[in-house]
Amino acid sequence: MIDIRQAFSLALGSIGSAKMRSALTMLGIIIGVAAVVANVSIGVSFNQFFTDELDTLGSNFIIIYSQDVNIFYDSELELIRNTPGVEGASAFNQQMAEVSYLSGTKQIDVQGVSSDAQQISNLEVEVGNFFTDKDKYTAVLGQEVADGKFDQEVAVKNYLDITFRRQDGTTVTQKFRVKGILTGEDNAFVSGGPDRDATIYIPVATINELLNVTDYGGFSANTEDSESVQAVSDEIDKRLARQLGVSARDLDNADAKPYRIFNQAEIIERLDQLADSLTILITIIATVALLVGSIGIMNIMLVTVAERTREIGLLKSLGYTRKDILILFMLESVILGIIGGILGALIGLVGSFIVETYIDIPRVFPLSLIFLGIAISFVVGLVAGIYPASRAAKLDPVEALRHG
Amino acid sequence: MMVIRLYEGNSQLNDDTVMDVVIDIQNIRKSYLLGDMEVPILHGINLLVKKGEFVAIMGPSGSGKSTLMNMIGCLDRPTDGNVMLMGKDTRSISDNDLAELRGFEIGFVFQNFNLIPRLSAYENVLLPTYSNSKVNLDNEERARDLLETVGLGDRLDHKPTELSGGQRQRVAIARSLINDPSLILADEPTGNLDTKTSTEVMDIFSSLHKGGCTIVMITHDPEMEKYADRVVHIRDGYIENN
Ligand SMILES: Nc1ncnc2c1ncn2[C@@H]1O[C@H](COP(=O)(O)OP(=O)(O)OP(=O)(O)O)[C@@H](O)[C@H]1O
Ligand SMILES: [Mg+2]
Repeated sequence: MIDIRQAFSLALGSIGSAKMRSALTMLGIIIGVAAVVANVSIGVSFNQFFTDELDTLGSNFIIIYSQDVNIFYDSELELIRNTPGVEGASAFNQQMAEVSYLSGTKQIDVQGVSSDAQQISNLEVEVGNFFTDKDKYTAVLGQEVADGKFDQEVAVKNYLDITFRRQDGTTVTQKFRVKGILTGEDNAFVSGGPDRDATIYIPVATINELLNVTDYGGFSANTEDSESVQAVSDEIDKRLARQLGVSARDLDNADAKPYRIFNQAEIIERLDQLADSLTILITIIATVALLVGSIGIMNIMLVTVAERTREIGLLKSLGYTRKDILILFMLESVILGIIGGILGALIGLVGSFIVETYIDIPRVFPLSLIFLGIAISFVVGLVAGIYPASRAAKLDPVEALRHG
Repeated sequence: MMVIRLYEGNSQLNDDTVMDVVIDIQNIRKSYLLGDMEVPILHGINLLVKKGEFVAIMGPSGSGKSTLMNMIGCLDRPTDGNVMLMGKDTRSISDNDLAELRGFEIGFVFQNFNLIPRLSAYENVLLPTYSNSKVNLDNEERARDLLETVGLGDRLDHKPTELSGGQRQRVAIARSLINDPSLILADEPTGNLDTKTSTEVMDIFSSLHKGGCTIVMITHDPEMEKYADRVVHIRDGYIENN
């Protein structure tokens, strides 16, 4: 039985004696493993990114909104508040309004919300406070509104003039006192919703009074725990639909309802589905790459066996058994695979870091990925080596010695 | 009728010389299949080599010398007949055990040296021990000593390409001796060498012989006969004199 350390150094020596060829052989497996490692790493990072983003949007939230007017009133807000499992609920109304500060005037998104919105939507106040339900002409500014929109920075206790357009075409201007300024956010491009940094929040009762309306654009609510979000959301949906006169058989038909409802759990689920289809794609790419990689290794091992036929004959004459020869060539194949796997894992790691830095998502790299890469390449090397190595082992010593 | 004997020896032998017999070939035949045709190469050969003997095998090209050598070295099995080595019946030995027998008991020397080009002289000499290593021998020290003995003490780290033909063959001889075998089999060891280096190599075989080594050597060169105790002539698969 061959000494495994010596077999190892013999195999390494053989690989080392044809460095260029070995490197080219490994290309397939390097690319395959790099693709797997980079894709998984980027996938994990995206996941982290979305999770972080969702957390900043609020915890366990449910959003209900309508494109139509005169759908939602206080009675619907009460209905949502009274649905079991709801922790807080807020109505909202919104308008792009003309905002004046000192000599400057800007178009800014003004959101009317209730004080519950602070915890529902995770609105973090950096300076001052969020308004309470008793406040009336009080505003809370997004970071960018406070320090980027106007020539001079807007501070807490300063006053802004906001001009709204009413439905009848008239305008109304009201002075608001700044009560708080929100913490700035990272660029939140997944949220798709309003950019909080560029938003002014005022009490929803105030905006409705100024606009001279009593209906709302929608509601936001949250639950105490994440497990119940979907169930509570479904319950709200059912109650709202009934209240708004949606027929019983249309309860499951979203298009039949005059509003849309979605929640955090659904978003996560949809992201998971996206991740799943991404995984399938990666698996296909990786399988193809690894197949190519293993064919590459098998091919070069067959060439090696053919080239070294005489050497195999010699080893047999020196007393090496079939098993010894098999081990020797299997080792060579596995080493080729593993070196390729390590290189591939490193390239995948570097590649995913570059991509993650470039598109600005968290750089998460599970170290287990390196082991995954090596494990994959080990299996590839093993499988690719079986046929060439067993061919080498079966060579007839006399024929082999006569060869070449 | 089956007769079981401890040693199914050659009829020429007395029992007290049994232990001294290294090779006892009994009526072996070898034929190759060419298509459907069976081509006989060796036609019933008998050969006895005792411990410490230096036997030269001569004969024209194609007469079956290498074929015979492969049978003796257990690289191939005869179509018929029996090869006994060190008193062991090789017919009943598995391929694996035959490999081990080669590793421990037989040292091969080839016409074309058969060194591994990637390995140094020293590593080439050690190569057999990676698979079969005698526990009572210090392989590394022995490899250095053997290279010293064949005059290559200062060439341990040279690759075969950095050595002359004669030096390569001396490395190969050192390799054949690493496991202290019972038998050296050399197939035209000087076939690729000029007269001067041939003499050097033969001097090494000669001193091995004097040290008690059993050697069977194939040669074409009548000059080499003088080193051998005995010359066996083969022609067309028959031994001419024995
Ligand atoms: N595998 C084989 N298949 C068919 N014929 C073979 C095979 N091996 C050897 N022979 C034949 O057997 C005969 C003896 O070959 P062998 O190599 O033993 O000759 P040799 O005496 O060693 O010759 P040389 O002096 O040239 O080395 C030759 O005719 C050869 O063609
Ligand atoms: Mg020959």
